[in-house]
Amino acid sequence: MNNAPGQITLEEWDERYEQLRRAGLREPGYGGPLGRHVGDGDRRLLKLRYDNSVASLRLWNFLLTEEDRLHNARAEGKRIVGTMKDLGTVPVMAYSLDNVVAFYPDGAWWIPCVMELSAGLLETADSLGIDESFCPVRAMLGAFVTGAHFPIPDQLVCSVGATCDDFSAIAQRLNGLGYPILWWEIPHRRFPEVDEAAVRLPGGFCAPKRQVEFVKSELERVRTALERLAGQRLDDKKLSAGIQKANEVRRYLAELRQVTFTAKVCPLPALEMLIAEMLAIHFCSDRDETISVLKELIDEVKTRVQAGRGVLGDDTARIFWVNPVADLQVMNLLEDCGGRICGTEYLFSHALDTIPEELPPAEALARMALADPMVGSSVDRAERICADIRRFGSEAVLISRIPGASHCALEGEVIGEVVRSRLEVPVLEIEVPPVTDSIRPTLGTRLEALIETVKERRKK
Amino acid sequence: MICAGIDAGSRTIKIVLIDADSRAVIAKGVIDQGVEQNKLALELFEGLLKGNDINRGDVARIVATGYGRNIVSIADTTITEITCQAVGVRHLVPDAMTVIDIGGQDSKLLRLDRDGKVRDFAMNDRCAAGTGRFLEVVAERLEVGLESLGDMAAKSKKPAAISSMCVVFAETEIIGLLAAGKAREDIVAGVQAAIATRVITMAGRNIDRPIILTGGVAMISGMDTVLQSALEQSVAVSPDPQLTGALGAAIRASDQLNGAKP
Repeated sequence: MNNAPGQITLEEWDERYEQLRRAGLREPGYGGPLGRHVGDGDRRLLKLRYDNSVASLRLWNFLLTEEDRLHNARAEGKRIVGTMKDLGTVPVMAYSLDNVVAFYPDGAWWIPCVMELSAGLLETADSLGIDESFCPVRAMLGAFVTGAHFPIPDQLVCSVGATCDDFSAIAQRLNGLGYPILWWEIPHRRFPEVDEAAVRLPGGFCAPKRQVEFVKSELERVRTALERLAGQRLDDKKLSAGIQKANEVRRYLAELRQVTFTAKVCPLPALEMLIAEMLAIHFCSDRDETISVLKELIDEVKTRVQAGRGVLGDDTARIFWVNPVADLQVMNLLEDCGGRICGTEYLFSHALDTIPEELPPAEALARMALADPMVGSSVDRAERICADIRRFGSEAVLISRIPGASHCALEGEVIGEVVRSRLEVPVLEIEVPPVTDSIRPTLGTRLEALIETVKERRKK
Repeated sequence: MICAGIDAGSRTIKIVLIDADSRAVIAKGVIDQGVEQNKLALELFEGLLKGNDINRGDVARIVATGYGRNIVSIADTTITEITCQAVGVRHLVPDAMTVIDIGGQDSKLLRLDRDGKVRDFAMNDRCAAGTGRFLEVVAERLEVGLESLGDMAAKSKKPAAISSMCVVFAETEIIGLLAAGKAREDIVAGVQAAIATRVITMAGRNIDRPIILTGGVAMISGMDTVLQSALEQSVAVSPDPQLTGALGAAIRASDQLNGAKP
């Protein structure tokens, strides 16, 4: 059996799985060959290329069994919270209660990609008046209406205010369909006036104290709702313990990012890194298992780095990627074109920072929520991107627009201008719809050209 | 020895043969693109060799570029049109700092550094509204040849306002304008202005001069003027604008052959 790091197809994974199993592979309960998920309708898996490590097998199986986990949680009598738009605050609160499971219904935006449009979720959204002028997260509406994916949550919680306009419209439509939502407001983060008390936020930002107080009061409403749902108190002690656990996830992710993005040879492909990073915002419906999955990934990555082995050549262009992609295949495409990911900003960089543990927990969560890149200006976002580009040594920035997403209309230009002026690295914007098969050649040309540009610049 | 650059574009295939050492152009040719793209490229290539008494063995290296670059079977390697356009234009216009390339299917804006390398680039990715396809649609609708569009636009006294950002809907607008009795010259001028507007959205706030226009659309008279007007900066048309991509590919082939650090 070849154990050198590499990328393999689903078919190759299933052969490898049999070899590993015969050699004594030990897996968690959700383990198994990846090919079985195609039977569930996840046809896109046949077109992806995967990291060949056991750690990545576990990561993929963890991701692809989330719906089963949620249904099991319901069967066990746990209460299910759908936490929407907010990327990383309410899940921390929900998982502080031992009988509550939170998940991220917005994650349904990947279903049209993974099922190659066969689930009809976007068509359902169309029929509800939410057409393709909205972000693909509208697939969530279809998932609620058909009930064919995740169980309908006992409680929906959604942040509103300084959030995407299109998402707010989609969530309101959901509310109108008879799925009541607890809304909590997140204001647009602004810099304190001269005479205002200021508060430092994670990520190096700053906000007026009154904004932090306001968000804290909003989160207290959420806390009360969660207590009612769980039938138990969510006191500061439980909340602090929940924050500590969330920070454990965040520290592991920070370590994984640091080791992977700064390694001379890429130790983990872009696709697996994307999925691993996504665990930060909602723990894939199992916080403790998230920690185990990440630990195993980090061990694998460290082993590869120490051995000087990786999954790509050592002359790949180091790309900083902004925004998640609707079609997972594009992460493979970047590598086909000669690039690797060295730095990311998938709209939730605040969920990668540790939550201050020395503060009262509600205050700490409020500060963290206000550090969300989506609630501040695009310039703030760009500054953080610049800092990470320096940290990870990225050679170019790729901004991936999400079709219909309101925040994408102007942010790319702003981020591009700031990055160019501060660091003089090339910036490219692309648009990635849920299924990119027909535009693969044109997308490939753009990515190849960016990589050629990076390599030309190295010759100076 | 000879090096070849083949630009397999969406509307035409272009080939330039150069002397690998002096980089002087030995032969060049253009053929309309079609369904059998590789066959067409081979036909053009063979025709150029035959027409210029060149043996196939004298061509030491071939680089293909353009959207169809990966199906050119005789190519030794491929390079994107972004890099090749930059190389080709800079060869012809050594102080070029910005290249606007408007082709049949897409448009691009390239920013170059002092050494002529691509510093940054942008491409249209949503619609054909900023491309030569827009002009083809209007030419078909107005029942005139592509080559006469420039002269027609020059006669316009009041260019029509074409508001659409989509070629398909723009065609509907053109039908409406014709029905309203708008002069064909004004419609063509309006379309040229719409293309220019679309292209300059890629430019952002800062654009370095000299600005060079290239690509098939650059051959239509008046496009440089409308771009100039939209950018409020002078825009020059590259020599041999349709061939700059193929020329750049040929130069890159010679760099590779000579082991030079381009």
